[in-house]
Amino acid sequence: MESMKQIVQVGDMKVGVKGDEIVTHALGSCLGLMIYDPVAHVGGMLHAMLPLSKINPEKAAANPYMFVDKGVPVLFKEVYALGGQKGRLVVKAAGCGSPLGKNEMFKIGERNYTVLKKLLWKNGVLLKAEEVGGSISRTVYFDISSGRVTIRNGRQERAL
Amino acid sequence: MKQGKKREIISRMNSFPSMSGIAAKVLKLLDDPDASADQVEQLLKQDPSLTANLLKLTNSAYFGIPSKVGSVRHAIAMLGWKRLSKLVMAACVSAITDREIPGYDLQPGVLWQHSVAVSVTAEGLMRELKVAESDEIFTAALLHDLGKLILGGFVEEELDEIEKAAARGIPFQMAEQEVLGTDHAEIGALMLESWSFPPKLVSAVRWHHDPDSAPETNPMTDIVHVANVLCLMIGIGIGVEGLHYEPSVAATKRLGIKPTQLELIASRTLEWAKELADAV
Repeated sequence: MESMKQIVQVGDMKVGVKGDEIVTHALGSCLGLMIYDPVAHVGGMLHAMLPLSKINPEKAAANPYMFVDKGVPVLFKEVYALGGQKGRLVVKAAGCGSPLGKNEMFKIGERNYTVLKKLLWKNGVLLKAEEVGGSISRTVYFDISSGRVTIRNGRQERAL
Repeated sequence: MKQGKKREIISRMNSFPSMSGIAAKVLKLLDDPDASADQVEQLLKQDPSLTANLLKLTNSAYFGIPSKVGSVRHAIAMLGWKRLSKLVMAACVSAITDREIPGYDLQPGVLWQHSVAVSVTAEGLMRELKVAESDEIFTAALLHDLGKLILGGFVEEELDEIEKAAARGIPFQMAEQEVLGTDHAEIGALMLESWSFPPKLVSAVRWHHDPDSAPETNPMTDIVHVANVLCLMIGIGIGVEGLHYEPSVAATKRLGIKPTQLELIASRTLEWAKELADAV
């Protein structure tokens, strides 16, 4: 099968199989969630913008991936459909940044992270790794052959 | 040394090609109550690429005009005078922001997407907050980062120093001030001032990162400030500086905005911005 590079836009989700690479750019306060089954070599990435869908149910019905509470469950389901198994999944999170200062209204990134943690906890899923918070913009590369996740911001790059 | 740098930046600014001469004349005409649609049409005929962009924007989904608009005369009839002047401005901005901006690490087209996103977000906030309708908000938002076109090259040269300053926890535009003696908001405002834009609009651009320092606060500046941070947060036009800006607590209080309103606008921004940005 031909390998593919897939780009996940804001408010979107992509799944892949061995040989694929999934990339998302410009994670500011948005959540980037990567899940991977190292046995089946399948995985997926979500780029969600806002914590709770109740803010705009109409939009959530059209596009669940815009919201953490709706997008995360669909991401898991899509990876299960490719042969992923819950007990084997490696789950990593990135993004959820915030601007400087004390204006709570703009802490959407922190609220995204809180909703994610609650969802995972309720479902008995642990985060294997995370790089969240701060005021940087992150690009995430997710190699579905190896499960390797790389984060880049500006001129710096590191493994997650 | 900083003052010398600022002088160098301002002299670069003065040699920046002004907006299309035709555009400036059209905008002046649109401000003139005695001007006729005929005159506007005749003028626009002299700048075919500006006219082409104008018609593309007029036909974008954002304005929801049911029939396809193929002529300037038709555009004037469908949009009305005020909206036409906003679109002339947008057509000009698209022509100058569609390239890579060094220093800020913005790929070609990204500053255009950001400018449009902040404009539609600002208009969305204006409606949601029931602030007195103003067509200037759209234009101010569209032009808020104009200074980045000039400052980018200088930021690129001094990026290490600027990032070092920002790492102490000060907002990025303050780090620019510290190292370069000026920042992109100030340069943008100086450019617009030299092109004789209205003072309120110039002020909104000048203080878009720091509305509390403006000599007079006004809702237009506060709205552009909030819309800009929101668009960066959702990744539209986020560059080398990331989210390294400080949203003002006082500005959101002045506007009386609630967190749910901010999130509601955020959930709509992407679609609005796409409708308009993809037209050109």
